[in-house]
Amino acid sequence: MTRYYRPSSTADALSALAAEGGGARALVGGTDLLVGLRHHTIEPTLVVDLKAIADLPEPIAVGDGGIRVGPTLTMGELAAHPVVRRRYPALVEAALTVGSVAIRNRASLVGNACNGSPAADTVPALLVHDASIAIASRAGERTVPLHDFFLGPRRTLCGPDELVTRIDLPRPPDGFGSAFRRLTRRRGVDLATVSVAAGVDRDGRVVLGLGAVGPRPLRTELDAPFDAADVPGLVRALDERLEIATPISDIRGSREYRHAMVRVLARRAILAAADRRTSGEMAA
Amino acid sequence: MSAGGLHDLQTVALTVNGSERTVAVPAHRTLLDALRDEMGLTGSKTCCAEGECGACTVLLDGRAVNACLVLCAEADGHEVTTVEGLSERGLTDLQEEFLNAGAVQCGFCIPGQVVSAEYLLRGNPSPSEEQIREALSGNLCRCAGYQRIVRAVQATAARRRGDRG
Amino acid sequence: MAEAPARPADELDLQAANGSPARIGRPVLRYGGADRTTGAQRFVADLSFPGASQVALVTIPVGCAEIVGVDSSQARRVPGVLDVVTAAELPSPMPRFGPSHQDRPVLAAGGVNFHGEPVAAVVAETTDAAQAAARLMRVDFRELPGVYTLDAALAPGAHLVHDPSIRPGDPRAERNVLEDALYTWGDVAEAQAHTDVVVEHDYTFPMVTHFPIEPGGTVVVPTEQGGLDVYSPVQHPYLLQRTIASVIGLPLNQVRVFAPDPGGAFGGKQNPKLEPLMAFIALRMRRACRLVLSLEETFHAMRRAGCRIRARTGFTRDGELTFHEVHADYQIGAYADVAPRVMAKGSYVAAGPYRIPAVRIAARAVMTNTTPSTAFRGFGSPQVAWATESQLDAGARLLGLDGLEIRRRNLVARGEAFVRGASAARADGEWRESLEKAAELVGWGEPLAPNRGRGIAVGIKPGATSGLSQSLVRLLCDGSAIVYAGTSDMGQGARTLWQQIVAEELGTPIDRVSVISGDTGTVPFDLQTSASRSTVFMGSAVLEACRDVRRRVLELYAETTGVPAEELDEAPGALITPDGRLSLPEAAREALGTLRGEFIGQGTRRLRGKGDHPLGGDAAFYEFNATAIEVEVDRETGELLLTKHVSVSDVGTELNALQVVSQDEGAAIMGLGHSQMEQLLLDEHGRIRNLGALDYRIPTFNDVPLELVTAAVENHDGPGPYGSKGISEGALLCTAGALGAAVAQATGVVIRDLPLTPERVWAALRDAEARSRADAELRSAP
Ligand code: FES
Ligand code: FES
Repeated sequence: MTRYYRPSSTADALSALAAEGGGARALVGGTDLLVGLRHHTIEPTLVVDLKAIADLPEPIAVGDGGIRVGPTLTMGELAAHPVVRRRYPALVEAALTVGSVAIRNRASLVGNACNGSPAADTVPALLVHDASIAIASRAGERTVPLHDFFLGPRRTLCGPDELVTRIDLPRPPDGFGSAFRRLTRRRGVDLATVSVAAGVDRDGRVVLGLGAVGPRPLRTELDAPFDAADVPGLVRALDERLEIATPISDIRGSREYRHAMVRVLARRAILAAADRRTSGEMAA
Repeated sequence: MSAGGLHDLQTVALTVNGSERTVAVPAHRTLLDALRDEMGLTGSKTCCAEGECGACTVLLDGRAVNACLVLCAEADGHEVTTVEGLSERGLTDLQEEFLNAGAVQCGFCIPGQVVSAEYLLRGNPSPSEEQIREALSGNLCRCAGYQRIVRAVQATAARRRGDRG
Repeated sequence: MAEAPARPADELDLQAANGSPARIGRPVLRYGGADRTTGAQRFVADLSFPGASQVALVTIPVGCAEIVGVDSSQARRVPGVLDVVTAAELPSPMPRFGPSHQDRPVLAAGGVNFHGEPVAAVVAETTDAAQAAARLMRVDFRELPGVYTLDAALAPGAHLVHDPSIRPGDPRAERNVLEDALYTWGDVAEAQAHTDVVVEHDYTFPMVTHFPIEPGGTVVVPTEQGGLDVYSPVQHPYLLQRTIASVIGLPLNQVRVFAPDPGGAFGGKQNPKLEPLMAFIALRMRRACRLVLSLEETFHAMRRAGCRIRARTGFTRDGELTFHEVHADYQIGAYADVAPRVMAKGSYVAAGPYRIPAVRIAARAVMTNTTPSTAFRGFGSPQVAWATESQLDAGARLLGLDGLEIRRRNLVARGEAFVRGASAARADGEWRESLEKAAELVGWGEPLAPNRGRGIAVGIKPGATSGLSQSLVRLLCDGSAIVYAGTSDMGQGARTLWQQIVAEELGTPIDRVSVISGDTGTVPFDLQTSASRSTVFMGSAVLEACRDVRRRVLELYAETTGVPAEELDEAPGALITPDGRLSLPEAAREALGTLRGEFIGQGTRRLRGKGDHPLGGDAAFYEFNATAIEVEVDRETGELLLTKHVSVSDVGTELNALQVVSQDEGAAIMGLGHSQMEQLLLDEHGRIRNLGALDYRIPTFNDVPLELVTAAVENHDGPGPYGSKGISEGALLCTAGALGAAVAQATGVVIRDLPLTPERVWAALRDAEARSRADAELRSAP
């Protein structure tokens, strides 16, 4: 049966995780974990609640080089943060699509990114913003680029006795715009059928993050720079580049639909991101 | 923790609607079940039990959360306000406006709607219609009194601002 | 009766409004509404039964299987487990029940007929223990080739959902067709002779589930007298009482049903389902037994019949209907419940409210290994209305007419028959008014922005065809009153109406009228709360009980005061004496004198059916609705944005404007659910793939149309009190037709399968483009 533990230090948390031999689960927002507990798809021997740990990175630290997000920052806090809103509009848009207000008051960015769901809403935006992720184990801490972090559905580089302690986002270069677009089955709260984040820099370099179109979230770039006057060219380039998407058919959508939609959303996200380069502000 | 039995019990001390409460629950017990079954506060309702319907919405340290997605143990040392706590001194203006607007049909979703709407109004005294819809879109109503509820929230906001008419 | 908590001073004008005698038609605040906002209202899961044992159900992960063995040894070892009940612990042969066919077993006997059908129940001291033990139950089963679709069920040699032995004497027992219906009039062959265009298409309507926000549950408490108290949030407490009494073998007075208000029912909580099982378990355990359902378990307990309709319709050049042929197969599920009646009553109006000289409607109730379907708001009408309304638009498009014009040309006028032949039905309202009003409110004919379209549709649904409602009204010596009325209040606000009627008739202030319902031990018989019938049936019974009270007041007043009865008269709220008007409570007080006491009035409203009528009798009234929708389509993604949604219902008389609006808006949005997003999806084992709130999508706040307008047409022409009609279902009858027509206009592509999900709209547009590209190539080929 499940036990509950609320450690006060990272070391205690890591020891507890290690002691369970893979049977423990870390808990922050619980919005995924509790659903798993209810359906008995996860039956941990120990739930390790990270919210009382004193020596974890603070929820959010803003520096000249970028921002550092600790495990306890909620989606709601992230989306309301003025610096995040200014610099990382795609991430804010993505965070605001996660569940409802009540979910966003609990769900953490680190939790959403780290559970390895191919459809996690914030991951495409984090990929576009070149996030990296810090993983702590009893042996020490390592940092990996986020796009190397995902191995497959629900499989990541973070081992069962390890913790993700931080997500780092570099400061986007001046003139970088980003945007997030998502397709769902209804207008209200829903899981993504397809999601795309796009970033366009001052020189027109385009980077894309793709969700729910493969076993893991994808990051890719376009070869040719963005040219607002040549949308047909953009469409052709996307058509070719998005062959990397390998969606499956499931209850939320067919393979064919996702194939087509990732292209539509990518184009829309790129155009919106490019627009934001000048204004640098989020559209209302 | 006491050993033996089906589950190890966890002692949880929390503040609910202003009163100190202590309960002993197994680790997997949700805050929602603890409120309803251990503390007799049945105003928060259970429907989906997985964060999709909002019938269980409560305030945890002043923030709206789905009580079905919080472990009771997590609430140790924290403060919970349920719909009962909101209406301790009689119907609130918001609850009255729910009635005036015809927003209450079967009523099962209404406690959750009231808590979510109260949370919205505390953070945003003049929400637009779009903001109201977005703020409440995690609260399902199968009687679909959605438009009535929006009217109720608007009327409450106006009343709190002291508007007339 | 719970009272609202004390109100702050600024609530006073509201209090004053409710303190004065009611005026029918005024918006009056919902009875018991305050408790529903504070959480004080007790739904079944909120009731406390100290010492009750908890029950959990055991199911297997397939839709059709033979049970080979059940091993409960591990489950029984879980601390706190009291008992495990399987078919072996219940009477043999397994008792069966059902409102029309006695086909539903108390617990799966020998085999499982649909995904989620319980095979066993675990009884334990706590819910935790019961659920843990239920997961440890080992059920050995052999999967059978179940039939999960209409095609599979109707194929030659298909697996039979019911062994012919449980349908003795039924000539159709060798097939999966449980019942059929045939309605014909006129001569289709002859009508074709003066037909200019014919449209013929197939339509589908999905299986959808009720998804009440209250999943519900049942508690059964054995009484010391050997009887049972049954707590269940049912719409028909008296039917449940009768069912339990007959499966257990108890007299009716030993079964007392308490029906807490349902937290949403929509038809899904009408008929007994798990209550008989709980009754057997409670008798076996000799203690209170409690089962609280999960939302997933409600998916296994209730749904609407899916439907496939083939329709062939003829028109003259002027757009007049000449004939209409409908073949409708309702996919009803594993047990009959009321589904055969849903099929028969729904298809009865499959020709719509139109003037059609020749009609042939053939419908079948087809069993499959799926959740038994039951009553669901609209009762079989929305399915056929989807096809028939779409056919009208198909004809209109061919003839160059618009959706409004073609309906104008065919809609029946008051008194005109829309069902002809032996069991004819005539329009009981000025339905054209609703159509015109909907058109006007949606801005029909105004220019449309790109990618937008408008559609308009109408729908009708027969009200109850027979029924019995009884009511008692007690006027107490201080002028307050108590109404006993069995109608359950599941959101429609029935009790508020009874308060209003009593206030109007007896002159009692509305806040001094209380209503008692939901207890078969104290409240007189009411057949059921369904088919939007309560206003008409129970409303009339309450009205009659009030008038009975007035007569009694007059008589006793005469006796007490010596004023001859011939010189007295009574009127709503008053006794008329030679000295002038006396308020009725005042007259009652004088009449009762120092001994006090009270007046008891009784009212009965009975509608006898007609034996030879296919529905068992003429409908007491028809619900009529016109819906118009404006939509914007994202052609690239298939997403729909409803920019305007108008619903106009013919209500007879609005008894409570606020409640009419609530019911109409709610039904309209529920209609958008099955039109846009709702559908139960099954896998090849008959399992529901989108089981639960994560993947079964219902409308949220953000899915409400940008503008949602409801309106009522009032001609005071209903059979209910003050000319009212039932109103709870109208606004979802034809939502799909209006939306489908709007999407067709916006995109030029017609879709005939519901729901119109983004992917379905996208796929239809893609296919249409591929077709037109192919056509263009053909044309440009040399
Ligand atoms: S019961 Fe908690 S969100 Fe549905
Ligand atoms: S009022 Fe019935 S679910 Fe909202």
